[in-house]
Amino acid sequence: MTRGRLGELAWASAALSAIAFAVIPLVWMVLTSVKTNREITQDTSLVPEGLTTANYVSLFSGREFGAYLTNSIVVTALSVAIALALGTQAAYVLARFRLWAGMQRYVGFSLLMVRLMPPIVIIIPIFLVAEQLSLLNTQLGLIIIYAAFNVTIVVWMMESFFREIPVDLEEAAMVDGDTRFTAFRRIVLPLAAPGLVATGIFTVITTYNEFLFALVLTSTPAAETMPIGAATLIGRINVDWGAMSAAGVVGALPIVVFSIFVQKHLVRGLTMGAVK
Amino acid sequence: MAIVMTPSTAGRRLRGSGLDRALPYLMLGPTIFLVLGVIVYPLLDGLRSSTGFFRFGHLVRSVGLDNYRQAFADPAFLEALLTTARFVALAVTIETVLGLGLALLCAREGRLIRRIRATLILPMIVTPVVVGIVFRLIYASDVGLLASIAHAVGLDPPQILSNGTGAFWGLVFLDVWEWTPLMFLILLAGIQSMPVEPFEAARVDGAGTWRTFVDHTLPLLRPTILVAVTLRAIDALTTFDQVYVLTRGGPGTSTQLISIYGYQTFFQFQQVGYAAAMLFIVALVVLVAAGFAVGLMRRRGR
Repeated sequence: MTRGRLGELAWASAALSAIAFAVIPLVWMVLTSVKTNREITQDTSLVPEGLTTANYVSLFSGREFGAYLTNSIVVTALSVAIALALGTQAAYVLARFRLWAGMQRYVGFSLLMVRLMPPIVIIIPIFLVAEQLSLLNTQLGLIIIYAAFNVTIVVWMMESFFREIPVDLEEAAMVDGDTRFTAFRRIVLPLAAPGLVATGIFTVITTYNEFLFALVLTSTPAAETMPIGAATLIGRINVDWGAMSAAGVVGALPIVVFSIFVQKHLVRGLTMGAVK
Repeated sequence: MAIVMTPSTAGRRLRGSGLDRALPYLMLGPTIFLVLGVIVYPLLDGLRSSTGFFRFGHLVRSVGLDNYRQAFADPAFLEALLTTARFVALAVTIETVLGLGLALLCAREGRLIRRIRATLILPMIVTPVVVGIVFRLIYASDVGLLASIAHAVGLDPPQILSNGTGAFWGLVFLDVWEWTPLMFLILLAGIQSMPVEPFEAARVDGAGTWRTFVDHTLPLLRPTILVAVTLRAIDALTTFDQVYVLTRGGPGTSTQLISIYGYQTFFQFQQVGYAAAMLFIVALVVLVAAGFAVGLMRRRGR
């Protein structure tokens, strides 16, 4: 394709406006978070006149933002770990075995349908069940629910990754004396590592960002996660704009840093493995 | 077609010992148990409560399908459905057009382009609640970005969240900002996996950029667009977090999406059975769309 100088210029300006569109809203939140409340509400300045860390300090002293973040990270890490541990085994079975009544063909599909079911639909019954089991306002309650939702997606994504691995390798290992399970652990799992990473990325991001279940099932900083903590900062009448924007920055930071960390596999993860 | 262990080889290997025979069920069991207990059981329980009448959170009596009938006679429910449909249609259409444009823009290789791509997907990674905060900080009539810009150039600050039309479009714009990146990613992958031959032939024939786009790019991309639109529409149908933070459904009922209305019916008005019935109507729509999407993805995967 031949591009003139004019074409290059048009391309560059289109790319720049797209980047501006994506980034400016976030930059504005960061700028607001380092302004004093007086400057935010009275001066309506575009660029902060002086920098203050007061908004950030107020999140951690006085407010329980540290607890929210800890809850988020604990709940996300454990539920994703459980889902990966259980889900990869199930996915392997579905990819390799013939089960009773040929059900290996339907399990993955059914699990995906369950996953696509909007959480709002089952939030009511889950609330009632959690209440009966005294799991309301506990980290454990959230971990169990997130693990169940995550495991559905782990099975769906990992099944297709396992299918891409030639079966000869396991058979060779088993001829050499491995049991089926050690062949899975020693040979197949390492080969499926990229898929495991993509699956982990998708589940970590969706779990860390989850709002509805946490909103309904938790009520104090003992179990409330970051999104809940950030949402409760938004009072109905008086809004503490500085603290709210600082909460947004601090809340988004862990997941953005995580994404930069796993950048190479991010696209595959974000599209549920559909894009390689 | 992927390589799958044929039944005969798998069977021969497994017939040996009892443990090997039970192994697949042992490996599958915990997952099935977890999903049945935590998702499927509550789902069925919810279905049961959708046919009941509740007072103070306790089932008083069964009312059959009355809750469902009530939904279709409830103007607030129908209005919420309509608002949701308008929201989904507008947001997903704009996202598809913008995502396609971006994908065409970025369909080249290079170091710089990878950086640009990584930056463009930032909005879809940021926590939805934080996205809600970001847009409150933009729209607020006293301290928002738009108000500050208006102030700087000497105009009156725009009133966005205080009137119905403004709030609704503000919500659509939020969704476009957050989810155009997903459309972009899926469509970009579609473009990059297209065969090169038709495009070379078109160039030899001297077809212009626009003709090539209409004659070759769009038809080849159609299945990808269809999957992307369905997946995004399913997700947008139950948008909740961002509305909760931005407007809580207001002003009036202008941004009252179906998920917000269902949530309020249960937690504020305590109408357990009715809320469940309403949400199962939505679930039915989602289920049909989801089945359609998964079918498409499977056919494409073959």
